[in-house]
Amino acid sequence: MSATTFGWLVLAFPLAGMLTTGFGYAKLPGRSAGWIATGAIFLSFLAALGALVSLQGHSPEHRQLVSSLWNYASTVGIDAQLSILVDPLALFMALTVSGVSSLIHLYSVSYMDEDRGFARYFSYLNFFVFSMLLLVLAGNFVVLIVGWAFVGAASYLLISFWYRRTTATAAGIKAFVINVVGDVGLVLGTYFIFKHTGTLDFVKAFRAAPHVFTSGDGDLVAGCILLLVGAFAKSAQIPLHTWLPDAMEGPTPVSALIHAATMVTAGVYLIARMHVFFELAPAAQDVGAVIGAATLLIAGTIGLAVTDIKRVIAYSTMSQIGYMIMGVSVGAYAAGLFHLMTHAFFKALLFMAAGSIIGAMAGEQSLDRMKGFRKAMPFTFASFVIGGLALSGIPPFSGFFSKDEILLVTAERGSWHWALYVVGYIGAFLTAVYTFRMIFRAFFGEPVTEARELERGHLHHAEQPKNPATGEVEDTDVGFPGPVHAIAERALPMRVAMGVLAVGAVGAGLLQIPQVDFVIDDFLRPSFGDSSLYATHTRNGLLILGLVLGTVIGLAGIALAWRLWVARPVTATVIRTRLGPLYRLCVNKWYFDELIDLLVVRPGIWIGRAAQGTFERMVVEGTVIGSAVSAARISSAAVRAIQSGLLRYYTALLVLGVSGIGLYFLLQS
Amino acid sequence: MTLAAAHLKGPHVDFAGLSPLIALLAGAVLVLLAGLFRARWVRERAVGSLTVLALAAACGLTIWQWDSQKSIVSGALRIDDLSLVLNLVLVAGGAAAVLLAWRSEATREAAHGEFHMLLLSSIAGMSLLAAAQNTVALFVGLELLSIPLYVLCASEMRREHSLESGLKYLIIGSVGSATLLYGIALIYGATGVTDFGAIATAVSNNGLAGDPLLLGGIALCAAGLCFKASVAPFHQWTPDVYEGAPTPITAFMAVATKVAALGVFLRFFDVALLEAQSTWGPAIAVLATITIIVGNVGALGQSSLKRMLAYSSVAQAGYMLAGVVVGTQLGARATVFYLAVYLFMNLAAFAVIVARERETSFGDGIEAITGLSRERPYLALSLTISMLALAGIPATAGFIGKFYLIDAAVSGGYTWLGVVIVVGSMISLGYYLPVIAATWLRAPTDKEAPSGSAVQEHGMAVKLPRLAGGSPELEGEPSVAEPDAGGATANRPQPEVLFVAALAAGATLFFGIFPQPLFDLVHGAGGVLGLL
Repeated sequence: MSATTFGWLVLAFPLAGMLTTGFGYAKLPGRSAGWIATGAIFLSFLAALGALVSLQGHSPEHRQLVSSLWNYASTVGIDAQLSILVDPLALFMALTVSGVSSLIHLYSVSYMDEDRGFARYFSYLNFFVFSMLLLVLAGNFVVLIVGWAFVGAASYLLISFWYRRTTATAAGIKAFVINVVGDVGLVLGTYFIFKHTGTLDFVKAFRAAPHVFTSGDGDLVAGCILLLVGAFAKSAQIPLHTWLPDAMEGPTPVSALIHAATMVTAGVYLIARMHVFFELAPAAQDVGAVIGAATLLIAGTIGLAVTDIKRVIAYSTMSQIGYMIMGVSVGAYAAGLFHLMTHAFFKALLFMAAGSIIGAMAGEQSLDRMKGFRKAMPFTFASFVIGGLALSGIPPFSGFFSKDEILLVTAERGSWHWALYVVGYIGAFLTAVYTFRMIFRAFFGEPVTEARELERGHLHHAEQPKNPATGEVEDTDVGFPGPVHAIAERALPMRVAMGVLAVGAVGAGLLQIPQVDFVIDDFLRPSFGDSSLYATHTRNGLLILGLVLGTVIGLAGIALAWRLWVARPVTATVIRTRLGPLYRLCVNKWYFDELIDLLVVRPGIWIGRAAQGTFERMVVEGTVIGSAVSAARISSAAVRAIQSGLLRYYTALLVLGVSGIGLYFLLQS
Repeated sequence: MTLAAAHLKGPHVDFAGLSPLIALLAGAVLVLLAGLFRARWVRERAVGSLTVLALAAACGLTIWQWDSQKSIVSGALRIDDLSLVLNLVLVAGGAAAVLLAWRSEATREAAHGEFHMLLLSSIAGMSLLAAAQNTVALFVGLELLSIPLYVLCASEMRREHSLESGLKYLIIGSVGSATLLYGIALIYGATGVTDFGAIATAVSNNGLAGDPLLLGGIALCAAGLCFKASVAPFHQWTPDVYEGAPTPITAFMAVATKVAALGVFLRFFDVALLEAQSTWGPAIAVLATITIIVGNVGALGQSSLKRMLAYSSVAQAGYMLAGVVVGTQLGARATVFYLAVYLFMNLAAFAVIVARERETSFGDGIEAITGLSRERPYLALSLTISMLALAGIPATAGFIGKFYLIDAAVSGGYTWLGVVIVVGSMISLGYYLPVIAATWLRAPTDKEAPSGSAVQEHGMAVKLPRLAGGSPELEGEPSVAEPDAGGATANRPQPEVLFVAALAAGATLFFGIFPQPLFDLVHGAGGVLGLL
């Protein structure tokens, strides 16, 4: 089979899985919905592998294959087709997405067991994977936009999965609204580009780009910045990031899949996919790089202060995506995507391990309440440490290679990019500190009651299920989490999923070791054949400096965390009181929520109220709608009045009509 | 002797070209005879099946004729892509009507044989009309389609409204036919020919475009055809007749009559009178505008679904006229495309109404479908798709059809007509959406509270022959009428009705997403008229 046939299969399996689980929810017994969904994604992964094998059979220049199912509209200068583009970049993403997704599906089969929305959950999850694969395989802007909007919708559905939790529904709405801002950016950006290239097809548009745009063309810069708005919203970059921490209201596997491994990296993919345009718009590239750097730093500081374990990981995700966005914006495409992949492994692993602890804590997510789980949950502990070491960039774990490569390429660009280099290493230090803060607080120290119970073989269950965020009392019926909590130590599917990811988190770095092998670079090269920045030569001195610096900084961060939270736990409190304002800034997430509230939400509400009070009531309601409605009403009454039911009147009108038409025609003669 | 034989040699008959028509008319004779058998299964099953068979044969023969372009019967009829496509649509509409009428009151009261014979003759008339290429064939076709319909409307003989509907249709229809005939006569007087092509030549060669006689003829013809297509101000029979007629017949009229009328509109105006397009174009455009407004405004707030759909069909006729007005290939294609789409979306709605008429005692009142989603989710889905499509919501075929029409109007220089279509669609949401809201948002109405006027009208065939003309045959066979007479049909399975609903709704959705097959189908239809 050709690579594109495999590409269509990649899409077909999740779609079929979604329909089966979605429509068959009432008839699928037990856990079968979960297994069907998992199988569908796994088949999709196999199809992606098939596409990979098939694509590698082509010569490197011919590794961009387009296949179109049908034309949706091909009139008035629009060429909207349902087409996919199978190239190394798309396949790289498809493999990462379907691979991690199948593991997370597997994990979910245990994790969501006994939840009353079991089949619905898997249907949503399959829908998400389908949308994400549609996004990455899209062969033109229209399909990209459709996939882009679909993942936003899927994310909304999954964040609000426990729909009777008010906090979850509010978080879902927030995520959706901010994502729609991004959608608007994407659509408008597409328009700016389409206006000049005259085609929606990716390959044609990329080919046309150097001919229709000069470097720094105003429309192109505007278009690229609008695309960046889309990317920032989806990838939770400042200032459109506030939805991501709230999105942790969703079930933990969802956080692992959507809000860590896949969807939030769509922005990175977008910039990489559109690199042709971005390279012609250096100003937009600079915006991307600076915002990425700012996000990685700010998110790192917030990660130091918040206590909800999932939110710490969420801020860490933002921060890591900041690296990726910065990377692809400065031309480190392979490095950025490499980091995307390794991050997908270790971050999904961290979330899964966190989910396991939360299961052991019966839904409690605060780090303040966790302590000493090391002995009770050895497997979770090991996974968390592996994920943590990879995240902190300790050699030879995967994060070490990918993160350092991004910073290396950034430094290569010279001049002010050195500032980004420095910021990157400060961020790396913060990463190590907050990551090991989590580990030391949750796994070390005197075990809490729940940990003690678990050591004795009894899994803690809350007497009364509560919303961990607000303490509201809940039941375990549909719309709330189910009655059973799952931990990795007791569920084989969870252990398998985490084990495979742990292997990835440790070993994925080997794909691209500086000076040794360049698997990722070489594989992705055909997609970036038209790039002037791709895989430039590196200076050896800088490379070694980076590797050493990365290791030292990572270890220093861990050491600091050890000192603060294990060796002398009082220090943390002292620092907190000494640096009161700074701490408050961080724990309040740099007041971004308040800032957006002040700058956007409140004025929006105020303008809305004012407009409703005056313009809406007087002009719209009164004049426009009022007159339109009364016109419709009056004419409706008139039509009915004529419709008397009496034949003589009908005939009379008929004769009148004939006379009118006759008169008109005779006047024409 | 040989000379005489040569003279007596019969005309050449192209049986292949005529074959779909022959199948329909032969089928008509056959079902009439089959209906004479006393055995119940013959009348209730075999007759209907034979009708479907005849339609299937006509459909097959139409497909067999595909891609042929020829004039037959001395140039009276034209077999080309346009008439073949319209034939397919007509046959599909007819088959749906047979299925919807499978267990209906009307077939029983009118006697199965007669009912189906009339239906087949009417379809034959429509098919004739769609192929007509001279004014005589046009008139014959028109009458062949109309007269059986007058009878069919009155086929529920014990229901006052059905009889009223038939009578009204007959009287107003006669006025319409007469108008058309006068128009044809005037055109003949002006040009001296009846053939469409010859009329076109005569008009252009003799500079008749400004001739009062010709223009008067055009005016009367336009009025007559507008009447058949229920274009305002000649639409007034539509709501009354649609509401009164048995629902399967209403469904049939709504789709098939439109197909035939607009088909002949295309052929007559865009071929014979194309030369005078600058004269009649604005007039028809104004009529289309009035139609769109009157239809959409009139449908607002109707509580009878059939009446609402009647007004909606008036409005839809206005949309379709836009494709005729511009006199371009694109316009012709858009009109034919919309006709095909219109078949599906309307049938879905009518099938649901038929199903609910038999399940509840509310007749076609909106109460019948209130809360439908809880009782019959798939019917509710069909109805919803149909309403959304009629309103022209994207992802349904109705959207593509409307888009196509607007495209045709704009590129034909009638941008304002495109705007009118859009405004009309906006108004139309005001009556399509409440139907959807009633199906999904409201709780089902108590089925055992028959106190509305709709119920009395529907009357459940009270066992008195209220008016003269009640079938005497029925008296002898109470056992036939008995089981259904009390409205006790509720919840009896009606697979054929559900099949029509599902198929029509499915097609509406399918062609909204994959319009390409339909585009391909209608592509030829525009080319055959010799338009730009």
